[in-house]
Amino acid sequence: MALADKDRIFTNVYGFQDRGLKAAQQRGDWDDTKALIGRGHDAIIDEMKASGLRGRGGAGFPTGLKWSFMPKESKDGRPSFLVINADESEPGSCKDREILRHDPHKLIEGALVAGYAMRARAAYIYIRGEYIREAETLQAAIDEAYDAGLIGKNASQSGYDFDVFMHRGAGAYICGEETAMIESLEGKKGQPRLKPPFPAGAGLYGCPTTVNNVESIAVVPTILRRGAAWFSSFGREGNAGTKLFQISGHVEQPCVVEEEMSIPFRELIERHCGGIIGGWDNLLAVIPGGSSVPLVPAREIMDAPMDFDGLKELGSGLGTAAVIVMDKSTDIVRAISRISYFYKHESCGQCTPCREGTGWMWRMMERLRTGDAAIEEIDMLQQVTKQVEGHTICALGDAAAWPIQGLIRHFRPELEKRIEEHNAKFAEAAE
Amino acid sequence: MSILGKIFTWWNGATIGTSLFTSRRGEKVGTDAQGNTYYRSKNKRDLNTAGSYSGGERRWVIYEGANDASRVPPEWHGWLHGAFDDVPESNLPPARIWEADYTPNATGTPNAYRPQGALEMGGKRARTTGDYEAWTPE
Amino acid sequence: MPKVTVDGLEIEVPDGATVLQACELAGKEIPRFCYHERLSIAGNCRMCLVEVKPGPPKPQASCALPATDGQEIRTDTEMVKTAREGVMEFLLINHPLDCPICDQGGECDLQDQSMYYGRGATRYRMNKRAVTEKYMGPLIKTIMTRCIHCTRCVRFSEEIAGVDEIGAVGRGEDMQITTYLEQAAEHELSANVIDLCPVGALTSRPYAFEARPWELKKTLSIDVSDAVGANITLYSKGREVMRALPRINDAVNEEWLSDKGRYQVDGLMRRRLDKVYMRRDGKLQAAGWDEAFTAIAEAVAGDKGSIAAIAGDLVDCETMFAAKALLRACGSNLLEGRQTGMAYDVSNLAAVNFNSSFAGIEEADAILIVGSHVRWEAPLVNVRLRKAAKRGAKIFIVGPAWDTTYPAEFIGTDLAILNELPSHIAETFEKAERPAVIVGGAGLKNAHGKALALAAGWGAAFNVLHMSASRMGGLMLGYAQKGGIADIAEAKPKVLLSLGADETDYASFADSLKVYVGHHGDAGAHAADIILPAASYAEKDGTYVNTEGRVQFAEKAVFAPGDAREDWTILRALADALGVEVGFDSFGELQSAMIAEVPALGEEGLADYGALPEADKNTRAEGEISAYPVRDFYLTNPIARASEVMQRCSSELLHAGELQEAAE
Repeated sequence: MALADKDRIFTNVYGFQDRGLKAAQQRGDWDDTKALIGRGHDAIIDEMKASGLRGRGGAGFPTGLKWSFMPKESKDGRPSFLVINADESEPGSCKDREILRHDPHKLIEGALVAGYAMRARAAYIYIRGEYIREAETLQAAIDEAYDAGLIGKNASQSGYDFDVFMHRGAGAYICGEETAMIESLEGKKGQPRLKPPFPAGAGLYGCPTTVNNVESIAVVPTILRRGAAWFSSFGREGNAGTKLFQISGHVEQPCVVEEEMSIPFRELIERHCGGIIGGWDNLLAVIPGGSSVPLVPAREIMDAPMDFDGLKELGSGLGTAAVIVMDKSTDIVRAISRISYFYKHESCGQCTPCREGTGWMWRMMERLRTGDAAIEEIDMLQQVTKQVEGHTICALGDAAAWPIQGLIRHFRPELEKRIEEHNAKFAEAAE
Repeated sequence: MSILGKIFTWWNGATIGTSLFTSRRGEKVGTDAQGNTYYRSKNKRDLNTAGSYSGGERRWVIYEGANDASRVPPEWHGWLHGAFDDVPESNLPPARIWEADYTPNATGTPNAYRPQGALEMGGKRARTTGDYEAWTPE
Repeated sequence: MPKVTVDGLEIEVPDGATVLQACELAGKEIPRFCYHERLSIAGNCRMCLVEVKPGPPKPQASCALPATDGQEIRTDTEMVKTAREGVMEFLLINHPLDCPICDQGGECDLQDQSMYYGRGATRYRMNKRAVTEKYMGPLIKTIMTRCIHCTRCVRFSEEIAGVDEIGAVGRGEDMQITTYLEQAAEHELSANVIDLCPVGALTSRPYAFEARPWELKKTLSIDVSDAVGANITLYSKGREVMRALPRINDAVNEEWLSDKGRYQVDGLMRRRLDKVYMRRDGKLQAAGWDEAFTAIAEAVAGDKGSIAAIAGDLVDCETMFAAKALLRACGSNLLEGRQTGMAYDVSNLAAVNFNSSFAGIEEADAILIVGSHVRWEAPLVNVRLRKAAKRGAKIFIVGPAWDTTYPAEFIGTDLAILNELPSHIAETFEKAERPAVIVGGAGLKNAHGKALALAAGWGAAFNVLHMSASRMGGLMLGYAQKGGIADIAEAKPKVLLSLGADETDYASFADSLKVYVGHHGDAGAHAADIILPAASYAEKDGTYVNTEGRVQFAEKAVFAPGDAREDWTILRALADALGVEVGFDSFGELQSAMIAEVPALGEEGLADYGALPEADKNTRAEGEISAYPVRDFYLTNPIARASEVMQRCSSELLHAGELQEAAE
């Protein structure tokens, strides 16, 4: 069963309607926000916990729980901050972009409500540098909201002061990592910080901070309006809610679509994307959650439920639900090698395994692509990925290692075939 | 060269014995740029005699002047040691324009190489630890 | 006090300790590159990974993980071993295998740790990264291909030196450590990054390709380039001091050393006095010791008491005592060490001492500096002041503005401001719990009394920051006249013994026979009538007292060049020539005599000068501080002036702008 239109949260995700404040209000945004805030800090957090919303940025940490880590009162006069992660740079992901350009008021209202719940003084929206038009749209929406008195002093007549600032990034993928984003906001080089201390204790300018994804924040007002029970009625146990799926690659109609969590892969593709190019037999593999999760071969993914736990069982992850579909015309080794290059290029260079390992892995992948390697080097590459994974400050090391591990796990015969072909060619030439 | 010199010294050219041996058993093969003359045994009977470890023919040189083995230029050195059979002129490629003329080992002569810092080079050695520069008034 | 278990050994660790410190307390060695006790924690080399329970099932960076109660730490498991091997392999894939031509070879952390924690062979078969060299000035040589990006140098310049000189540009594999726009690192502590660099990326430029660490003789010594008395080790090869490195002493220099103290040693090989010279017909000509001694004896014949001594900035206490004993035997007491004519009251040495102690000044919460360019006069004290400022101390400075490395307020050059301090300053000091006053060389003349009175009024610690290594020792030995050096000039001594005094104005001693006992051909030697070549601080044992009254011993590293002798032997021989008895025949006897007279000099550590004198509340400070005594940080003493490295630093780092202007 598919998500009914009445249950969609992002009703303007395709931009068929105006994005301005008036149109947004007609769609139900900013509808008695004062009453939402009137429920009180803890009531909102409890509601969010009950809704079962898990962070939409990739890691899937329960959002309500994350908010509850924020201090209840400031002991030393430090304010709290909400930072909204709109630095959507994961290859394959494009959901935040649609929210920012077509439904920015959902995000701003969410920022106010979420910020109020966690007792934050202000929200900083860190938007990806390449999103130029989106930044303009967002800034326009923020200005509109200020002019209408929805945010700022006495936001929405609730008696709560709350500011929203937009900050544009400079095009570094790593700044999507929460502590690197905080560093970048502070004007420093975007490099992840050591944890502990966690941002909820000492984040932006040393103050308690929560970093949330755009989608996690944008769904908050709707959840509060329609109730936690409504939201948690979608999806399987522990994977509640609706989700923006972004399907790209070898499907008939690539699209961004809001669907229920746990929808089987086959249904998602058939219903919204018009099927795989060349039919289901032509499907080679799928990267279900953006470039940083391991790929899943066709036979395993076809009927798998698209949610956090379901994909974890397949040795992959939901990530940002950026589904990259690859049919049999794909040079899978080259595809993963390209992803490897991306991580080599985006490694911040702070800690050793990632700085040196990503380059090594990419070079190795390039050699495997042409087959210019020895069979043992596949095992060595596997070891190198293991040496990177889990040894770094942030998760970029893991993200760089996983796609390669997925490739070796599922496509080792392909790698070996290339090496043998290459060697045979050279043996021939030598004769 | 005086006959007395031939009798009493051995360091210039062939001694009397060698001259006799050469005239009886030797066959002249050629002469190099310095005038050294090269011989090989005339008689194939000598094939396996001393000085011919590999079973090849016996080859020798009589120097024009000092008996210094380093005066044999590389092309004749090759012939002498059995590296090739024919004389160098017909066997080796012609000398390239960038090839320098062969010079014998200069050790022990005034032309010998002396490193910087040697007394003959003025004795100015490189600075070493403990050297200090003394102050002098004005 | 959390209790943790390290490899089965249960220990208690102090609050706030990290897992790495806990492991060290338990006697386990944890390899590390980026972690340094005196710098902030970066946690980026990932070499210190250990297994910690409870925690995620992956190795944790121990340097950044706080030790908490009940932790179970393992440093010897397979997981830890493979993690270290992995990180080491990553560090080495892009590190050149050029140890044989690397100056760090033999004292390289990467070399040592790869032997202990690395794999035997490499598996990386691709090309290594190469990085262009960066120019970091005349002291730091860079071979950036060797850099492992530990960022110790970046953190040092930001946190300790307080200048944002070094940083990282680029990211990932292409990250490079560089100075901004490749300008020279100009800070006077810049060369400390060479010690901090765990590999050979930053090495010493003057010492490049000079020696290997294992062939050097190490001698414990004291730095004489300023009055801080930094603890150093002199590394010598044969008869030459190759380099000076700081020794760790938390009370004095922590583990830093100023660039001058580190690099003036090449001056020990230049402009040396190695023969006796006598002025004949207006010209200095080489002579023999006997001739020289006879000439001196003739000059004082009949009036032995007409002999005076001026101590230079670099001399040790033994030399000064030997001269004092000689003069006393002759019946003279004309001793002075304050070459530039200062005449502050020394009846109570506590009033001219740095009473807070260097470590103590860090705790101060309000500091008034009167006439001191601390960054140049005592760079290592400036580090302490920066620490105090970081802890929240408010710092006010009277005198011409200089570039502080911490927030400080300059309150003018007119000393009269001390009489009527602006209300916000007075208030700050009255409220402060641990205020301190520091009087520098430029403030001693006119503001000494007023500063004492202010300090007494606030209950503040009173400190005097001297600039010369011999000052406190000299004052303890009585090298001070009431009227300063003018008193000596007035006495018109027939013979003036100058113990390496190069800052004195010899014009006022035109009628005296000027005997220069020193080691460098500098101002003193040019003015002298007789030159007796002596030993520098590296060439003799000696006692030094730093500006906080800390007595420290230095040892002899090398022999003096040529005919030069240790100073005390010259003075002993001179006593014979003059026919007087000084009471010692060996260095040991000399030292015992000195300690018998001034017992404090026999004990290493802070000397006790008693309580501060009663301050006269009605004194007023007057006059203006127009300039500081140190005009050029790199050229303050004869050794530094002889040093090529220091001259290059001076022209390149301090006067480069002037040259550029002149060229335009």
